[in-house]
Order: sequence, then C-alpha cells, then structure tokens
Amino acid sequence: MSLFWVVIRQTAQRHYMAKKLVTMVDWEKKLNDVKVRREDMNKLVMNFLVTEGYVDAAEKFQIESGTEPDIDLATITDRMMVKKAIQDGNVEDAIEKVNDLNPEILDTNPQLFFHLQQQRLIELIRNGKVEEALEFAQEELTPRGEENQGFLEELERTVALLAFEDAANSPVSDLLDMSQRFKTASEVNAAILTSQSHEKDPKLPSLLKLLILVQNQLDEKAIYPRINNFPTATLEERTV
Amino acid sequence: MPTPAASNHSAGPEELIARLESSHCPREAKLKALRDLKNRIIGNRTKKLAFLKLGAVPAVVGILSSAAAIVGRGGDGENLEFHESVLIQSAATLGSFACGLDAGVKAVLDAGAFALLLSLISHSSEKISDASARTLRMIYHSKLAPKFDFLLEKNIGFLLSLLNTENENLTCLGASIISHSCQTPSEQQVLNEAGVINRLVGLLGGSLTQKDGSLEALAAIIKNNQEIAKRLTETGNGGELNTVIELIKDKNPRTRLLACTCIVSLRNSYVPCFHESGHRNKLVLVLSELMDDPSQVGDEAPFVLSDLISQKEDMQKIAYEANAIEKLCEQLSKGSLTPKRLEGVLLALADLCSKLECSRDKVLNSKVLTSLIQALAHERAAVRQASANLLRNIARSVKNLSAGHFMNEDVVLPLVRLLLDSSTSVKIAALGAISNIVVDFNTQKRLFIKCGGVKQLVHLSQSMDSNVRINALWALKNFSFHVDNRCKEEILLELSTSSMASLIGDPDPSVQVQALALIRNLVDGTLNSIEYVFGEDCLLLHAIGRQLRHSSSAEVLTQAMYTMSNIASGNEHHKEAIMTQLFPHESKDMENILIKHLRSVNSQLLTAAAWTIINLTFPGSPGTSGRVAELRSKNVVAELKNMVDDPCLDARLRIRTALGQLMMFIDA
Repeated sequence: MSLFWVVIRQTAQRHYMAKKLVTMVDWEKKLNDVKVRREDMNKLVMNFLVTEGYVDAAEKFQIESGTEPDIDLATITDRMMVKKAIQDGNVEDAIEKVNDLNPEILDTNPQLFFHLQQQRLIELIRNGKVEEALEFAQEELTPRGEENQGFLEELERTVALLAFEDAANSPVSDLLDMSQRFKTASEVNAAILTSQSHEKDPKLPSLLKLLILVQNQLDEKAIYPRINNFPTATLEERTV
Repeated sequence: MPTPAASNHSAGPEELIARLESSHCPREAKLKALRDLKNRIIGNRTKKLAFLKLGAVPAVVGILSSAAAIVGRGGDGENLEFHESVLIQSAATLGSFACGLDAGVKAVLDAGAFALLLSLISHSSEKISDASARTLRMIYHSKLAPKFDFLLEKNIGFLLSLLNTENENLTCLGASIISHSCQTPSEQQVLNEAGVINRLVGLLGGSLTQKDGSLEALAAIIKNNQEIAKRLTETGNGGELNTVIELIKDKNPRTRLLACTCIVSLRNSYVPCFHESGHRNKLVLVLSELMDDPSQVGDEAPFVLSDLISQKEDMQKIAYEANAIEKLCEQLSKGSLTPKRLEGVLLALADLCSKLECSRDKVLNSKVLTSLIQALAHERAAVRQASANLLRNIARSVKNLSAGHFMNEDVVLPLVRLLLDSSTSVKIAALGAISNIVVDFNTQKRLFIKCGGVKQLVHLSQSMDSNVRINALWALKNFSFHVDNRCKEEILLELSTSSMASLIGDPDPSVQVQALALIRNLVDGTLNSIEYVFGEDCLLLHAIGRQLRHSSSAEVLTQAMYTMSNIASGNEHHKEAIMTQLFPHESKDMENILIKHLRSVNSQLLTAAAWTIINLTFPGSPGTSGRVAELRSKNVVAELKNMVDDPCLDARLRIRTALGQLMMFIDA
C-alpha cells in the first residue's frame, strides 16, 4: 500500500510540476530585460487624452513631453463642445455644431441622426413640453421610420414615452436616464472621430484587455507573479 | 438650459424660402435663414424633398452666386468674412441637397451651380475650397453628374492637380470624378498613362474617405481591362496590390466591400491573378459576412458576390461550401428587404444555382419557394427578372423536375402572368423559367395549357423582338416534347399552320432553328401527329423542304433533317412525300441534297441524314424496295459505303444500320 501512495504522490507532484514555476526574482529579471520606449508610452497617453477629449491636458502634455498629438487639438475642442451640448440636453445646439464641423457626418449616418432626433424628443418630454413633443414626433421622427424600417422598433419605444402619464415609472423610463444622454454623446463622438480618420476607441483599454487575456492563457501553463490590481499594477507572488 | 424649440421653428418652410429669395430681407437674417435651412435638411431626406418642391435650390444658388461675386471683388469694402461665411453656408446647403438624392443633384445642376462650384475649388480660402469640393463630390456620386472628358489634356492636368494635393476633399473629388466618368478602355488607358493609378494606390494609406474613394476609382480603371490588370499584378507592383488585399480586413464595412469589388474587378479582367485558393476563400467569406450588414453595404454585397462567382463553377463551389446559400436564403425568408437588397440576393442565388445541383437542392430545402414566387410579382422589374432567372436555374434540377415540384398553379400562374410584363427582359427571363419547367416528365402538362401558358407562348412567338420569338419557341419546343396529341392539337390550334410556316422561314436563323425543332417535336409521335405537316396543301412540308435545300446554317439543317426523318417514320404516304422532297421530280439536275448533307462536316447533320435513310428504308414497309432502288440510283448507297468508318460513334452506327437495310434489298 505504501508503494501505491508513493506512486500517487509522485504523479500528483509531476502534474503539479507540469506548470512551470517562476519566482518573483526571475520574473522581475525577465521584465527588466524587456525594453519599452518612452516615446511609445507618451504616444499612448496622448492618444488616450485626445480620444477622450481632454484638450487642456493634451496641450499641457504636448508642451511638457514634446509628444505630437495625432489630431489637430483645435478639432478636439469642437468635438468636446458637441459632446458637452448633448450631455447638457441641448441636442439642437449639438446638431448645429456637428454640421458646422462636417456637414457630411449626419448626412451619411442615418442611425446617428435618428438617435439625435430621438434624444431631442426625450428632452422635450423631460421638460414637460408634451404638445411640442407630439408635434416633433410627428414631424421629425415618423419620417425616419418611413425612410428606414429598421428604426421602427426603437421609434415605437420612444414614442411610448408620450403614452405614459408618469414616464419616469414606465417600462421605457430608461430612455429618460442620463445614461441615454451619454450613449448618444458617445455615438456622436465616435462618428466625429471616424470622420477625422481617427480611431474611435483609445488604445489603452485594448492593451489592458490584452494583458488580462495573456495572463489567463499563461495561467494554464505557469505559476508566476500576476498583476491583479491594475491601478497599482503590483506583481503578486503566488503562494504555493 | 435647453434651447427653446419654438424660436427655430417659428418660420415655416415657405416663409424660410421667402426670406432667402427676398431682396428686402436684411443680410444677417438671410444668413440665419440659410443656416436654418441647412440644419433642417442635413440627414433629413423627407425635408430635402419638401424644400426641393418649394424651389429652395434656385434660391440658394442665387445667394451663392452673389456671395461669390462679392468675395471675388474683395468684399466691396464690407465685412469680407461675412460674405465668405454666406458662401460657405450656401455651398454646404447645396451639398446636402445633392447628398444621396438624385432629385437634389438634378436641382443643383439645373440651377446652374456646377461651373461656379468648379471655379471655387481653387479659391485661396481653404474653407471655401473645401465646401465647394465637398458639394461637387456629392454631385459626382450621382449618375446625373456631367461626364468628365478624360481625353482632353487640360482636363487630365486638372484631375492630376486635384489628386496630387494633400487636401482630403480635393483628392476625394478627383477620385469620385474617375469613379463616375471612367468607362471606356481608351479613358482607362489615358488615366493609366498619366500615372493616376500610382497616386490612387498611395491614397489607400490615407483617411477613410480617401481609402474608399481610391478603391472605387481603381475599380473603375481596372474594370474589364486585361492589359491594366495584368500590368498591376506583375512583379514590382505586388506591394501595391497587397495594400488592397489588406483592406479586405479593414474595420470599416464599406472599405471591405470596396476592396472586394476592386479585387473581383482585377480577377475578372485578368484571370490568373489571385488564383490561390486562400484569396478566393477569403473573398467569399468577407462578402458573405458583409451581407449581414444592415446598411447599404449589405445591399451591395450580393452583387459583388455575383460578379465573383458568375459563370465560374469553381467559385460557386467555394461559395457553396462557405454556406453562402444558407445566408442568402435566410435573408430571403426574413422578408421586408429593400428592393435593391432583394434583387442582389436573388441574383447571387441564381448564380449559385446556375451549375451546381447541390445548390439547387439546398435552396429548395430552405423553403424559400414562397418568397421567390412572391418576388415574381414585385413592383420593380429588376426584382421580377432576378426571381424568374433564379427559378429558371433551380428548374435545371432534373431530380426536382421529375418529382413534379414546379408544375403546379402556384408556380405556373405567376410565371404566365410575367409573359404579359411590360419589360422585355422580364418576359425573356420568364420564358427561360417556363422552358425548363415544362420539361416535365409527368403528365401534368395540361395544367400549363389551363393556365393560359400555350396561348401566351404562341402570342409571344409572333413578337417583333427576335429574342422573344426565339425564347417563346424554345419553351413551346420543350413543352411539346413527347406530349400527348390533345396537347399538340391545342398548340396547333393557337399557332396556325401559316404562322408556323412563316416562323420556319423567319429572317433570323436562330428563330428558324427553334421553329423547326418545335415542328420536329410535334411530328414525333403517332401517325396523326405527322399529318400536321400535310395540312393546307403540305404548307409546312414545303417550308421545311425549302430550308433543307437553301439554308447554310448547320443548326437549321440538322433540325430540318431530323424533322424529315420523323415524318419518314410514318406510313407509305409520308415516306413517299419525303422522297419527293429529297428528289423533286421537276428538275433532274437539282442538287442531291441528301448526299450533300451526308457529306457534311457536322456529325449531327449527317447522323440525321442517316436516320432519314433508315426510316425511309424500313424493311416492313411495302414501298421500301422501290425507295431503295431510287436511293441506289442517286448514289446514296455508294456514299454510305464510303462513310462506314466515320469517326463519330453515333454516326457510324446509323450509317451501318442504314447500309445494312439497303443491302438487304439489294442483295435479295
């Protein structure tokens, strides 16, 4: 029987040993051998600031680090004003600004245009302007549904807001959330970025996602110090 | 605080236009009205149409011209910036009217804005230049734009100046001019020699609009031009082509579609390029995936797929294996497709079913027949045509034909209705489908008569359009194959002997072929059937004989000869009549057409002649010995003896049989 247990233990150890063990010392040494250029990091930071629209920060960073933004910073200001207008509920103002920036954006993006009109209706309802809202729905939203059948479902949901006395407690109340404004603002932001041939998403989140993915994959093959907390990015040694 | 909606909408549309047109309206108010108009129409097709009707475009063009004039004079001592602003806003408004709307483009062109906009793109102010270039680009996206003459040297110079700038709007304008106007090989050549291709490939690394614009322009220059396509794929240019291939994986769907279009264009112009299976599979996969896109990209994807696979069985197989059929059938059964998308889906399915039996099976098993039949009655002619063509291709499936899946009222009635369609192409497509469906191995053909099919086919056989005549006769020919006498009578009731005779003598040889083939089928059967050609003083027999004697087309002669051979399978009277046709009593010096046709290089014709001899000398018939003697005296026996080693197996067989029968009587 003891032989049996020896075999079991050895098999278990071998299985355990199948995953490579890397100590903190070794891991840190490996990390130190990897070279990352400062310019690349600066570019990542600039890319984040520019895509998210932090103009002042981008300008300062440009001065202090000498990193060139990949977009004209002046256009960021315009874009941020559009975003802000929507987040404040001034959709008509936002539309005017987008059209001044680039009249093609709304002319070639039927879905975005529909969502902006939808947001206008939502703001009218939020402000209790029911009659105006009804008129607006008829004048501006119904034609969108006629022009494009794909919008009909969303259109019905939006118009349903008018049907309820207490819209805030209706099944479609999510449309009145601030999150709906952010959603619309984000959509406009992305469309403007695309029209300027800039990526609509910053690179930094993709890098972090890649890190998570790679660590998960490596977990199957090795035991090594992991990064579990991104803000601190400290290596946590695995206790066996 | 939200902007009160009331203030901007206080002016109704008519009032807005009135302000723009009025000479009394103060300038600032006019500019405000202009911006208001612009913001009302951008993105809003319905409003654009409404304002077009109210004459908005001429009003805006008027403002554009006067602003341009003032700016040209330096502002007339007034605020130059103000007038530049008016110029830019009016150009942008016109651009929006023209964006994706043919009616808008027409209005802008009719109002005479084109030349003015063209002059403004070279303005020193980048904003003015941009706004005008953008508007012109919108115009050039429409077929209504004026054709650009590439063969004029100064025009090429202008085009190159557009393409060689760094300005996005100007380069894209150049590209859209090419996409719009480059059509003939000589235009393609001129552009190629001017070095345009290199510049366009360079732009593939630019912005989104530059990428898309260049791809479209490249496709236009390459289309059907083997020389240019070949030069592009040859070594040295490989790097540039790789850029295009990479763009198949671009994140923007429209870019992917345009890259595919470009590559398909290259493949179709010069076959050896991109022949590796890896590329072919990738193309099919990308196009299949693009078909799911809800926007216009998804509408156009099936057309590109069709271009890729049309007439090419290997590509159809690849597409089949990539599950293209499932995707397309899914779209079809979803219903409520835009007419364009529906047309594309039907077209692609038709191509997939054109040669592959497995495709036809799959389509029929996907239960889309109902949607297909519905599409036969669609309001758009192109959709009706595409669905009839799809039905024609599916009906090539012998298995399903003989299972009787098509010969029912649900399918036949809508098709017969299409025979009355206003569009000739739709008629011809329906005739194609009917031609296949009536090759029915069951005895359901009476249904076709009941649905009025024969009547319509006969009617169309008298059409002014020879294509329609040919296809109608083809359908009748297929219908009459091995059909019972009652059906034959129906055909001849509708199609009088004299019309049949004139079709046999039709000016178009292709019509003659079909007419003779029809008669051949009609006389193939019982003795009663053969009597048809003897009606009205042997009108049809003489017509057939005339073709046999005078036609120079092997196809016509073959059908005529086979018809004769079918008649010769009848009774004594019939056989003697054929002998008279072959050897007329009147003139002994007349050419021996039997020998002539036996000597034909066309195997089918000489086989048909051999068959005729076989039937004429059928041993059981009383007058055979007399006919044998006559044939011998006309040197037919000697001729046959020379032919016993004919290379064609079928011919050899019949010749030997004929000879055998003849010798039986000679030796006896």
